[in-house]
Amino acid sequence: MNLKQQFKEGLITNNPVLVQRIGMCSTMAITTTLFNGIGMGLSVLIILTCCNVAISALRKVIPNDIRLAIFVVVIAGFVTIVDLLLQAYIPALSASLGVFIPLIVVNCIIIGRAEAFCQHEPIGPSFFDGIFQGFGYTVVLVCMCLIRELLGSGTFGTGIFEIVNGALNVTLDGSAAGIRIFPEEFGATILIMPFGGFLTLAALLAAMQYALRKSDEKKARLAREAKVEIPAPAEATAKEDAE
Amino acid sequence: MTETKKAKGGNQIIRLALILFLVSAITSGVLGLVNMLTKDRIAEQERIKTEQAYNAVLPYDGGYTEVAFDQEAWPTVDSISAAGEEGWVVELTFSGAQGSITAAFGISSDYTITGASVIDHAETSGLGAKITEQDFTDSFIGQSEGMAVTKDGGTIDTITAATISSRAMANAANTAIAAVKALG
Amino acid sequence: MNVITIALGAILMNNFIFSQFLGCCPFLGCSTKVDTAVGMGIAVTFVMGLASAICYVVNVLLVQLGLDYMSTLAFILVIAVLVQFVEMFLKKSVPSLYTALGIYLPLITTNCAVLGVVLLNVQNNYDFIESVTYGITGGLGFMLAIVLFASVRERLQFADYPESYEGFPIALTSAGLLALAFMGFSGMSIT
Repeated sequence: MNLKQQFKEGLITNNPVLVQRIGMCSTMAITTTLFNGIGMGLSVLIILTCCNVAISALRKVIPNDIRLAIFVVVIAGFVTIVDLLLQAYIPALSASLGVFIPLIVVNCIIIGRAEAFCQHEPIGPSFFDGIFQGFGYTVVLVCMCLIRELLGSGTFGTGIFEIVNGALNVTLDGSAAGIRIFPEEFGATILIMPFGGFLTLAALLAAMQYALRKSDEKKARLAREAKVEIPAPAEATAKEDAE
Repeated sequence: MTETKKAKGGNQIIRLALILFLVSAITSGVLGLVNMLTKDRIAEQERIKTEQAYNAVLPYDGGYTEVAFDQEAWPTVDSISAAGEEGWVVELTFSGAQGSITAAFGISSDYTITGASVIDHAETSGLGAKITEQDFTDSFIGQSEGMAVTKDGGTIDTITAATISSRAMANAANTAIAAVKALG
Repeated sequence: MNVITIALGAILMNNFIFSQFLGCCPFLGCSTKVDTAVGMGIAVTFVMGLASAICYVVNVLLVQLGLDYMSTLAFILVIAVLVQFVEMFLKKSVPSLYTALGIYLPLITTNCAVLGVVLLNVQNNYDFIESVTYGITGGLGFMLAIVLFASVRERLQFADYPESYEGFPIALTSAGLLALAFMGFSGMSIT
């Protein structure tokens, strides 16, 4: 499996959220501001990559009967490390994501990748699988945040960007107010609420299904045309013969 | 035949348990190490957060001194600290819309609010989390007991779509003043 | 009084699925039939109640030993063992329920509602009674949500919706509408 293929799988054809449909709890719960989305996405990316490498390295030692228990212990270990580091160095993110950081332990993306990929593959591919799958997850989170934040409260990049005295200010402590696109009163606040999480994810999934179907149809049509082309000359000559 | 099988099964279980134990032990060891490295910093961050909140609600250079109060009568109050003759800072933990909120209120010697600051909360970001914003906390300044959110006919701003969080803050502010008054 | 507030909050106002997004995977995965949804709801309620009780004790121990940073690891191990135990118990004593639940039982380990309730118990500083109440009623809230959703979903096949919404997207949209209905409960308070 080459890198390009793995990248495409993580981002589109085997995207953890949009295609494998796992890890949806956090996708819907925390995507209310860009700060949360990027923070959560990167945390999962780091944990996923570490777990993938660790499990891949241990894959010959782990007995099959208790592999799930060992996966869970390894994952919980890395999650706790990231949790402690966040509390120490980015407390704003830790406070904002709250219980959803420790809940990465039961995020099916990580245990799913361990089960489906890392326990058979060597360390190299597992490492890149972690990065690309994590990236695919982050991209979906960011899309959700952008849509919900813009339509819900009329801002862009709350917690990361803000305009102070006409200059763009980038902060990492989550205190930035965001760039206002339109007045808050015009926003559909319902999109920030739980309902908006379900609705936005449904729309994204539907868009993905639409895109995948179109691409399948196109492939099928191309294949059909390619098939038709071969017998076509024979038919033509047959017709000519008849004439 | 069955006996040897059983013995083998027993060995297998012991082997599995050992491996699991080993993995858990290594993980715990690493966690202990990380905890040791981050513990002080986390405690420091907590302290800074609380200190900042205290300074924001009632600036005082002389150092805050904690005073005793009736914990039975005021279950939501965590601590009351006196800032010399200037007033008190009351720290409370109470339930908001999603989880508990910890906030500090500064109260002057004539029992009006000098400032409010949220230390910790679990409200939805983008909605209830707006209780941390200055626009909201500033609306407490100068208020005295009997505060209510605008939606209930009071003077505290109600955050759009986060009435519960706003109301919880207003109630907590009232509790803070009442608790200080009860000090006598 | 506090117990009633916690119970009603967990079932209606702060429903695990519709307000906190905990346990969405089994909620979407096991809700195509009402029967399985009921079974799943019962199993999850049982495990959540037990996990709350055991993890409360575990947490007290960890805090006394100064090891509270290990709590996530300890909780997930307790839950995994608990689910295994429930599985063995059901297999021996109630085989009918065991076969009905089938593969969903081991999946409860990775149900974030179970770990979530335990973590929230710690975060909200609940005592033993409150923890168990929160666990059981949180499970009941999950059951209410999944059964309601399954009954809606059974009727979805008669609905007319855009082709691209086939499957998950339309299920999510209907779940969203249920969440909207549950939002009506928010703001209710018992004093």
